[in-house]
Amino acid sequence: MRPPADLVVETDATFRVHASLYTDPALFDAEMDRIFGSAWVYLCHESELPNPGDYRTSVIGRQPVIVSRDQDGEVHVLFNRCMHRGAVVCRADRGHSNYFRCQYHNWVYDSRGALQGMAQPSGYPDDFDRSGLSLVKPPRVGTYRGLIFASLAEDGESLQERLDDVRGYIDAWCDRSPLGRVTLPRGNHRYSYPGNWKLQLENGVDGYHGNYVHESFSQILERSGERRRSDVTRARNEVGGVNSAKGLSHGDGLLERGSGMLGTIDFSQFAGYRERLAQAHGADRVDDILTQRNVLVWPNLFLFESHIRVVRPVSVNETTVDNHPTMLQGAPDEVNTARLREHERFFGPASFGATDDLEIFVHVQTGVQASSAQWLDMSRGMHREEQRDGEIVGHSTDETPQRSMYRAWRRAMARTNREAVA
Amino acid sequence: MSSDAPAITRDEALDLLYLEARLLDDGRLAEWLELFTEDCVYWVPNVVEDAAREPSIIYDTRTRMDERVHRLTQTAAHAQSPPSRTQHTVCNVEVLAADTPGEATVLCHLVIFEQRPGDDWQVGLGAPRWFAGRCEYRLRVRDRTWKIALKKVNLLDRDLPQYNLTFVI
Ligand code: FES
Ligand SMILES: [Fe+2]
Repeated sequence: MRPPADLVVETDATFRVHASLYTDPALFDAEMDRIFGSAWVYLCHESELPNPGDYRTSVIGRQPVIVSRDQDGEVHVLFNRCMHRGAVVCRADRGHSNYFRCQYHNWVYDSRGALQGMAQPSGYPDDFDRSGLSLVKPPRVGTYRGLIFASLAEDGESLQERLDDVRGYIDAWCDRSPLGRVTLPRGNHRYSYPGNWKLQLENGVDGYHGNYVHESFSQILERSGERRRSDVTRARNEVGGVNSAKGLSHGDGLLERGSGMLGTIDFSQFAGYRERLAQAHGADRVDDILTQRNVLVWPNLFLFESHIRVVRPVSVNETTVDNHPTMLQGAPDEVNTARLREHERFFGPASFGATDDLEIFVHVQTGVQASSAQWLDMSRGMHREEQRDGEIVGHSTDETPQRSMYRAWRRAMARTNREAVA
Repeated sequence: MSSDAPAITRDEALDLLYLEARLLDDGRLAEWLELFTEDCVYWVPNVVEDAAREPSIIYDTRTRMDERVHRLTQTAAHAQSPPSRTQHTVCNVEVLAADTPGEATVLCHLVIFEQRPGDDWQVGLGAPRWFAGRCEYRLRVRDRTWKIALKKVNLLDRDLPQYNLTFVI
């Protein structure tokens, strides 16, 4: 493994990423330690555990956790790992229980992770030290507008500080609900692909591929009369207006386009929806709220128009993605149902859109096996992007967000480089 | 529907299911569409069967089915380039007693073997995959022919991550 700092190379005019970022298992292990071992990592949404006793499992990098809500309503994140001899204490992906019982020797923990009892306790002296035998917790947990995060770093920025630059976009996304409350239905569109996790990250904020990868979908829209192909192509290429790709601090980034500009349904046209938004959030905010954005919150969360997307790296060439549709509380029922149908149509595992993206990830994963060609180029738009209010703003087809992502990658990977390589 | 409309025979039900499987495996998707009523639904649920409040893997009305077929036959859909070869295998067929003349409910199991040809050294190509599901068909007589008003497939692994379900299930 070459030093990670040498694998993302930037000059004034060029930005290159080394192909081993997609293929080297040692780099993948290092990513799990240095990126997922320090960043604020998204775990799940509060609406997935609405009541005391509810829980949901998730992962921080590769480490299994349980997110549980205790009897007082407080959220706890517990490593799913018995303190006796290491078995998981929970096998379901979600459920309701006031305790977690390890199936190996029956040690029992409450929903805060505290050890409640051991089977056949006479095998331990009365004064046996149980103090270190509660389920281990990540050092820091934070919640913002229903999004639950954890960090394995003992200290560093608080979640609130970390989200400063992207907060406005998260708020706009949540405020698509007139009540400011987004919830997740039980169903979840999940897909897995035989490729590196960063391919999904790059692509989710990539405005360059649409005319080519999604040509099939453009043809469908033309046939249905929803959008003319030439209009979609023009909208994607247009310079000016709301049509940008942005790079933020912390590796975050986004793709931003006017409401209904590319999507099939302009949800703002549904009877009563705009009015409810204006009433709840103020008329001057409605256009911003309805602006179509794909927001990447590094390293594993996207907020898309219709869904939360969670990227779960499995190995250097295996990734699982949850495209969890969202329901907008307080929005007309027809809006929510139409969003579900559009979601299935473009983003689901049998859809007419995201499935073509996945196919391309696999093209890349195969192509980069040709390791004699070492670099991937991500220089597009460097000559024309601008600094504006702490954001780097490029044309929607520019690789501005990808650069911001890989700068964060390099920072995190270089940080403990010396110790880890030694 | 007139009261003397027939109940479906087991042979008629089997013929329809086998015909559907053959049309899909031969890529005769326009003819496949003709097996369905105009107001049909082709449904592959996710974990909860409630289309208004929950996502489905597929919830196609006839219009969306037309789109799906158009995409697969007329557009450069990368996920189907090269296209899947499939072998739809139907078994455990049960024809349920019908309350209404001219209507029928048929249950069956479905196993699909799928493979994509091409440069089989490449990721995603070559390796065969299988998909299992339990199906419910609601059939209706239209112009003296049994047509599919509902095809619902509950995949065995419907709540697990899926990779490329872009062929017709
Ligand atoms: S490993 Fe959990 S009780 Fe023994
Ligand atoms: Fe895409």
